[in-house]
Formats: sequence, structure tokens, C-alpha cells
Amino acid sequence: MQRGATDTVAFTAGLVLAPLDAWDRLVAAFESRNALQDEVLRLEQENRVLKGQTQRLASLLSENARYKALLNSARDIEDELVVAQITSLSPDPARHVVILDKGAADGVMEGQPVLGAEGLIGQIVLVGEYNSRAVLITDSAHALPVQVNRSGLRAIAEGSGAIDRLVIRHLAATTDIRVGDLLVTSGLGGRFPHGYPVARVTNVTITPGDAFAMVNAAPSSALDRGRHVLVVARAAQQSDSTNP
Amino acid sequence: MNRAHASWVIYLSLVAALLVMFIPVPLEWRILRPEIAALTLFYWTLALPHRVGVATACTLGLLQDLIEGAPIGLSSPGLMLATLVLLFSYQRVRQYDVAQQSFVMLVLLLLSSGVEQWLRNGIDIPVIPLSGMLALLLSMLCWIPVRSILRHSRRHYEVY
Repeated sequence: MQRGATDTVAFTAGLVLAPLDAWDRLVAAFESRNALQDEVLRLEQENRVLKGQTQRLASLLSENARYKALLNSARDIEDELVVAQITSLSPDPARHVVILDKGAADGVMEGQPVLGAEGLIGQIVLVGEYNSRAVLITDSAHALPVQVNRSGLRAIAEGSGAIDRLVIRHLAATTDIRVGDLLVTSGLGGRFPHGYPVARVTNVTITPGDAFAMVNAAPSSALDRGRHVLVVARAAQQSDSTNP
Repeated sequence: MNRAHASWVIYLSLVAALLVMFIPVPLEWRILRPEIAALTLFYWTLALPHRVGVATACTLGLLQDLIEGAPIGLSSPGLMLATLVLLFSYQRVRQYDVAQQSFVMLVLLLLSSGVEQWLRNGIDIPVIPLSGMLALLLSMLCWIPVRSILRHSRRHYEVY
């Protein structure tokens, strides 16, 4: 019943959005040839840079695997990625929930992490046959275990309800955390795989006399930009579903 | 004993009002979305209290929750309570002019969203921030066009 409802709602949203989509396509069709050529050039350059950067990835991965084998630790599972598109936002103004155009038929399951271009953006909470709902990390009911990349310090990053801010409470005022530190998923709890970038620390407020520092961070991926996201389809299979 | 006539207009208008929820708006502007569905419900309760009432309010609330992906039953109790209040007082509210009626609508919306906030608080879902009140004020202004559109269609299709 829930599956059917998710699909029906997404389908209706698609119907309402159809005229707008058609308009977008019409505008795109008349986009000038020059603009498209520029775009191709830019993408080619970007592709070349990215290719250059990934050349060493294969060797690094196998090297890493060898070291891990030496250390007798389990090899990281390579994640399978499903490309999905954000079709609409939930109308509930208190939540940060998006509707994606991939569902159970594409291997999407509850609890799977959702990645944006520059890092983690959320997780799947409701799955229909061909659509699903994902809650973003900034939703004020969402929290995820993170780690400071520089020092390995573990913490919980909570959503603030504002689209560009995460908060970390309950860090001792003497903790080593600085503005600009990158927060990555720590993998604790088994929900999110280890090592995806989440946010960057934007300010650390230490009030003298308070036991805890107040840390704010900005998500690495702009959560309100872009339409394409990646759903990590393998990582959450071993974890049981707990409420986000 | 009177039989319903053209009651499809009622349900069509409620569905159309629900579709308004799908219109895409920027993330920060969702808070300003007026409660067209609730206003439509209140209009029909006011005009045809023998056709539309607490049961319709309950169904509408369930559909709203499905669309929002909220826990089922989050918005029904508030809408049902507001409809009930309107059912007790429709004869008086009908005598008011449009401006006065829109204030009544504001009170009804405050009542229904108040109950919803209370439920959200109770089951630990994020509550709507205080700026959500702006949406209620906007809804109050929407009462005038909503009322005139529905009134025209009611008379044109002779809904009773």
C-alpha cells in the first residue's frame, strides 16, 4: 500500500510538472549552437582533468587492497551506484524530503545513502516500485555519524532544518576541531559506508564556561542545486532498518 | 429527502485543490504555500453542510498526508475539528461578509494547523516554524478568490 502510494503521488507530481518540463525542453531545443559548443568544450576539458586525476586510482585501489590483505582486514565492498533524478520536493515545509525517479525495480532500498556531486546528501526512507523518497542530511529529524578527516575525531552531525547548515552538539569545548575541517562519514552504525565527504566546518563557537562547543558545518554538496544524484545500492544491505 | 445533484463538482474541486500542492516552488518558499485544499473543504462545508463534513475532512487529510509523505493521519484530526466547528456555526458564518468570513477561515486554519503541530510535537516530527503563520495569512487572503470561484461553479452546475 505504501509502495503504491509513493508511486501514485510521484506519478501525479509528474503530470502536474509535465507542462513545465516541456517548456524546459523547448527552451533547451532553441539554445544556440555556440552555447552548446562552448559547453562541449568545457566538458571535454573537465573530462580530461578528471581522467588525469583517476589514472592513478586503479593502482592505488589495488595497492590499498594489498595493504588491507596484509593487515588481515576485510576488503571494502565496492559500491554499486544507481543514477537517479530528483523529480520533486515534498510539500511539507518542515521537512527536507525529495522524490527520486528510481525505485525498488532499479535496486533501490530503504536506508541506502544518496550522494550528490560533492558528497553525501541523504538517505532513502520510502521506496515505491519506480520512485522513492529520500530525506536530506539537513532535515531536522536527521543525524548521521561523521568523522573529522584531519584528526579522526568522531561526532554526530545533525540536520538543522536550514538547507545549508549542519550542527554538531556535545563536542567538548577543548576538542580539536577547526573551521575548514572536512567531515566524512565514519561508517559507525552501519548505515552509511565509511569515507564519503559530508560537510565542511564553517564556525566553531566556544562560550567560556560552557562544557560543549557549538559547531556549524556546511554540506559539501549544494543540496538545493542540481537534479542528478547517486544512490549507493550495495552498502546498506547488511544493516537493518532503523528510523532515520 | 433530497438527492445529491452534481456532487462530482465538489470532489473535482477538492482534487484540483490537492493538485495545487504539487506545483513546484523553491525549497524556502514552500512555507508560504496557502492551504487551498483546506479552504475548499471549508467552502463546501459552509455551502452544503449536508454533503460535506467531518468524513470528507478526514479523507482529505489522509490524501494530504500521502502527498506529503507524512505519517498517515497527521493532518486529518485538525481538519476534522475545524470542520466540526464550522458545522456548528455555519448558519452564523454564512451571514458574514467576505472579509469577516476570511477572518473566520484564519481562525479555522489556526485551529487545524495547531492540532497538527501538537501531533507533530507528540510523535517527534519536525514542527513547522513560526514563519508558517505567513502561509495562514496568505490563505486568509486566498479565501476571497477561492470562495468566488467555488460559488460560481456551485451555481453554474447547480450543486446541492
